[in-house]
Amino acid sequence: MQKNLRITPEGTRDLLFEECLARRKAESILSNLFQLRGYSEVMTPGIELYDLFDAGEPVIPAESMYKLTDSRGRLLVMRPDSTLPIARLTATRLKDAPFPVRLYYAQDVYHMNHGRSGHNDQQFQAGIELIGASGERADLEMLSLAVESLRICDVGDFRVEIGHVGFFLSLVGQLNVDDDVKDTIRTLIEDKNYAALGGVLDTLEPSDPVDFIRMLPRLFGGEEVLETAWALCSNTESHAALKYLSNLYKKLCALGLSDHVMIDLGMIHQNEYYTGVIFRGYIEGSGDTVISGGRYDTLLRRFGSDLPATGFGVNVDSLTKRMLERQAVDPPKPSIVLVHALPGYETEAFVKVGELAYQGMVCEFSVFNSLEEALVYAERRCISEVHAVSDTIKIYKL
Amino acid sequence: MKPMRIALTKGRLEKDTLALFDRMGLDTSAVRDKGRRLILPVNLPDGSIFEVVLAKAADVITYVEHGVCDLGVVGKDTIAEYGGSFYEVLDLGFGRCRFALAAPKDTDFFEGYTTKTVASKYPNVSSTYFGKKGMDVRIVKIEGSVELAPLLGLSDAIIDIVETGSTLQENGLDVIEDVMPVSARLIVNIACMKLRKKEIESFVSHMEEES
Repeated sequence: MQKNLRITPEGTRDLLFEECLARRKAESILSNLFQLRGYSEVMTPGIELYDLFDAGEPVIPAESMYKLTDSRGRLLVMRPDSTLPIARLTATRLKDAPFPVRLYYAQDVYHMNHGRSGHNDQQFQAGIELIGASGERADLEMLSLAVESLRICDVGDFRVEIGHVGFFLSLVGQLNVDDDVKDTIRTLIEDKNYAALGGVLDTLEPSDPVDFIRMLPRLFGGEEVLETAWALCSNTESHAALKYLSNLYKKLCALGLSDHVMIDLGMIHQNEYYTGVIFRGYIEGSGDTVISGGRYDTLLRRFGSDLPATGFGVNVDSLTKRMLERQAVDPPKPSIVLVHALPGYETEAFVKVGELAYQGMVCEFSVFNSLEEALVYAERRCISEVHAVSDTIKIYKL
Repeated sequence: MKPMRIALTKGRLEKDTLALFDRMGLDTSAVRDKGRRLILPVNLPDGSIFEVVLAKAADVITYVEHGVCDLGVVGKDTIAEYGGSFYEVLDLGFGRCRFALAAPKDTDFFEGYTTKTVASKYPNVSSTYFGKKGMDVRIVKIEGSVELAPLLGLSDAIIDIVETGSTLQENGLDVIEDVMPVSARLIVNIACMKLRKKEIESFVSHMEEES
């Protein structure tokens, strides 16, 4: 027997029945939400040129992309992210559109994970991009839709936490250190590695920004976080970022979302393209981030189009898993009727199948030669009725 | 709400963590008298319960990363080797040792042009270390006693965990350089940190006070 014939590649899997229903349900709930808020669907290719995701500085880590080559030897990748392709299509195909444009997508993305880590390499994401709009109103729309995406899927307790890239950048900009150290500090804050962060900061000259950065990983929670931070920092850029977050937060609270919204000043996204407000969503029972998004005002410049933008993506697989655990999905309908043709009545039986299906009944055409086999099959499949078609129709209830 | 679940690295770190729990006033009798069970209840002074899971070091990371355990106690050696995405919030101070580069006495590891071979149980730690040095070395993964590799002539040096250095001594090896210090760390799942902030923060700060 050939090897590897009966397995799927690591990090991928088949979806069967309820799993498909749950995925389609989550997808349709989200698509519907996005459409009703004025977003139009776009689909981008499953494979893209490598350059899209690595122009000078890598936007997506090169080692986490699935790569192949085209017929001209150029490097291709399996779509690792939908925001960059959508930025490209906006800057090219939609350059004359009236801005802002509201786009949504629901498609797979691919990431190569460490071997046998149990993470999915293929992930179904649904998300939106609001391109050509800057400012608080656009950010507010994004955040409220992020919260709504999780609420509407009914997956139990959830949180969306908000941060601001400018906050970290202005603080670290005040430090007189090289980029390597900045990178280290960034990672340590992101990992909430209090101990190691302290170690790195101890080697720097004491100053207000150093003291503040030391606190940064702990600065997450409700409004009190903003107050603490305000008192601790003094430069105008940081204050501006705090004020911006505070306004957003108040408006989200006024929308009744205070239970689901948190601030995390120590949040720094891995994706390098974010420039302003960033956010993430978490749901009960899932260890992963299920929403990831933020503002990316400089990204479209790469494609020659200077448009501010913001957006987010939802990990639909995590939602689906949770919906199945909570049994928030209707089980698949069993076939209700099996139509069996007695010898010579195949055409009549087929007409009957068509009629019943047209009435909205689920019915199967029996491919068995004998009625006995059909009845045995019906019993095993929990089919409730067998219609035996000849000149008349005899109905067997099981 | 489900009880909080903490994964402990079996063995020495488990003992040290339980000692810490005792200082924190937790009732660890069920864990001490565990028999063959792997999930055990621990009572907090306020009457609430959380669950202790006993696992191998690398599995502690896996369980926490996937969110099936909220917290974990694991050595920095394992974190450095396996990585992963989680919050590393406390240096617990126990389980102290270090990674070191060691070579046979009276040899100069850094001398000459030939590519050196290094044996280690920790290939990722080793390649990161030499990568930072900009030094191209061949790394061979060894599962058991790494000291054997240079003795048998397989490698020029080893990278391993060193506590007292006596094993190295007895096998004619000398520490050339320290690679990194190691101690036990408290790690937290990212989503749990957000969804159960209060509970986790109070537990972490209680742990910090007693560690």
